[in-house]
Amino acid sequence: MLFSYTRSSRKLKINGYVLTKGGLIPKIELLFTSNMKLILIVSALFGGALCLETFVGHQVLRIKTKNEEQIRKLQFLETLEHLQLDFWINPSTFSLPVDVRVPANSLQAVKIFLESHRIEYSILIEDLQAVLDREKQDMVASQQMERSSNTFNYGIYHSLSSIYEELDNLASEYSNIVSKLQIGQSYEKRPLYVLKFSTGGSNRPAIWIDAGIHSREWITQASAMWIARKLASDYGNDPSITSLLNKMDVFLLPVTNPDGYEFTHTTNRMWRKTRSKNAGSLCVGVDPNRNWDAGFGGPGASSSPCSESYRGPSANSEVEVKSVVNFIKNHGNVAAFLTLHSYSQLLLYPYGYKCTQPADHAELNALGKAAANAIQSLYGTTFTVGSICSTIYQASGGSIDWSYDYGIKYSFAFELRDTGRYGFLLPASQIIPTAEETWLGLKTIIEHVRDNAH
Amino acid sequence: MQGLGAALPVLLLLLLSAQLPRPAVAEQPPWAPGVERALDPSSRLAVGAARVALHNYNFHAASPSGLRALGQVRKATVKSIPGVGQKCYLQFTTEDYRSRENAGSCLATVLYPKKKSPPAVNIKCINTKDQKQIQEEDNRLYQKLKRQTKPITGSNIPDSFGNIEPALEPVWALAVAGSSYMMWEKSTEKVGYFMTQVKSVKQWMRKDDSLEFDYVILLHEMPTQEMISCHMRLIWLPGHPLKVKYTCDSENHRLEDGSGMESGSAAGIIREREENF
Repeated sequence: MLFSYTRSSRKLKINGYVLTKGGLIPKIELLFTSNMKLILIVSALFGGALCLETFVGHQVLRIKTKNEEQIRKLQFLETLEHLQLDFWINPSTFSLPVDVRVPANSLQAVKIFLESHRIEYSILIEDLQAVLDREKQDMVASQQMERSSNTFNYGIYHSLSSIYEELDNLASEYSNIVSKLQIGQSYEKRPLYVLKFSTGGSNRPAIWIDAGIHSREWITQASAMWIARKLASDYGNDPSITSLLNKMDVFLLPVTNPDGYEFTHTTNRMWRKTRSKNAGSLCVGVDPNRNWDAGFGGPGASSSPCSESYRGPSANSEVEVKSVVNFIKNHGNVAAFLTLHSYSQLLLYPYGYKCTQPADHAELNALGKAAANAIQSLYGTTFTVGSICSTIYQASGGSIDWSYDYGIKYSFAFELRDTGRYGFLLPASQIIPTAEETWLGLKTIIEHVRDNAH
Repeated sequence: MQGLGAALPVLLLLLLSAQLPRPAVAEQPPWAPGVERALDPSSRLAVGAARVALHNYNFHAASPSGLRALGQVRKATVKSIPGVGQKCYLQFTTEDYRSRENAGSCLATVLYPKKKSPPAVNIKCINTKDQKQIQEEDNRLYQKLKRQTKPITGSNIPDSFGNIEPALEPVWALAVAGSSYMMWEKSTEKVGYFMTQVKSVKQWMRKDDSLEFDYVILLHEMPTQEMISCHMRLIWLPGHPLKVKYTCDSENHRLEDGSGMESGSAAGIIREREENF
């Protein structure tokens, strides 16, 4: 038997009665543990095809014994293995009923045995398979209901699959302006999904926003999801966003490094890099924010595969990075490149790979300060504004250095909450406040781009 | 340093109600040795030094209820002392570590020696919170922990989602205080630390009044971004100095999730120290 009811695992509530060892409790509903459900359903589904057991024609009998003698008869029945009886409640004392699942083939023999010994019984379940089929239908229906009623909680951290499911929800709920694109695949072949926010036109100037390039920075993927919903729902309601999307498109990549993100859930919460294998090393992964073609190989990135800031064997060696680069290049009309990181509460513009000021330093600094003020206006959270090199450290191969040198003037990196108390382990209660304030900062930059870019 | 300590309280009052005297200094490099130059208060040198000063403060305060986090650096200057090292002079605000309420400002000097040894810190802080109240909270905390009949254990504090079980909060706060010692000792002008997580904690029951805990702590090292695992033994009795003994894994030890040596990294050198009680 692929599946067998062990007596100790039985806990069946059927047609008004809970059958448990030692007694019955009246209440209606079929209840299994979810594992048991799964096993039952799988075996029922595969039973026919693989000549394994199904429960078609199986009946569950409730036997009422009157005396010790009848108990002994039932106990004798138990020993007849060829009948393949499955006692849900064992014969022990005559004051308690005995419940037994009887396979179709043995039904006649068992009933004759009981009747000939004048042992009372009733049929509790006429066809077990029918009951299981109904239960399966109910489960599927309730799962569908969960999905369509959008129970995605924006104030908690989610698994990758849950996030990907919500991307589909957003695209369908706001199908007039939101669509989901796949721009590539991760190293481990997970899709890289971008949400496109657009009211039409043809290749309008675009804002690029990405999150989660470093997988342990969970507040960024979580904030990106909130921002996605906010952007979609504000169109038609908020004048600024409405005018923005009437002129420009927004592309949002909530999980830039899905392999890493999955790894932080399954294995190591502190994983930062991609999950690519490194030739000649047991160490895995490349720092995707040292892998861009901007001062690649320079100071502030490691040449060791075991390092958290390993730059990789060559620029764009990481497929996650290459996919974004290809998308941006093919699009040809991206006006702003905004990327989310945590933690430290910083708003950064180029450069990181060198400590000289970019040509647009004055405008970027002023815009950064305006954005930081907007962030602060909500909950008092202070962001420090400056170039990467002067504010944190010299770091080569970073994304906004690449995008700026590629010609995308408005290139900013956000380091979100906090400043070190919780660091990467930011409590979920801070997700929505963080997303709200970050959105104000992003909006400030985006509105400036809308009003200044052509 | 001793002379400065004596004059500091008076200096504190003066300075907090007035501007720090503007140092006469050249604005372009190279810096003249011995001359104090202004630092951008949000520069990484200034912020890093302020953090180091606070690690030192938190360790010496030995008070899980009185832990402070950095608020804002208000003023910072730095002086290069030939043959000795770099000395930062700082004025910064602090917040209560847990509540983020304003906890008062501090004046500090941080000397990063040329030779690899812990930064020398001198720090004096104003208290906005009543010190007696802090002591009482520490005692309450201590009593609660002392009452436990079974050794306290825990892991992943905070957990992946940032949660800290209320019952384990005091143990986490002690970890912050103890980790401050490690982070202070290991910091340099270029490398700083944050306590990320208590991977595990186990209490060692003692016959005397002190509380003793064995920790595995994860430190986040910047700018290398490495996660450093440290084993820390801590003994605490309210009103007494904290006793900390620790070893940290050598840097770049991570293979998949295990150990392995590596050479040629650009990051600073991590020292391992064993302190004897």
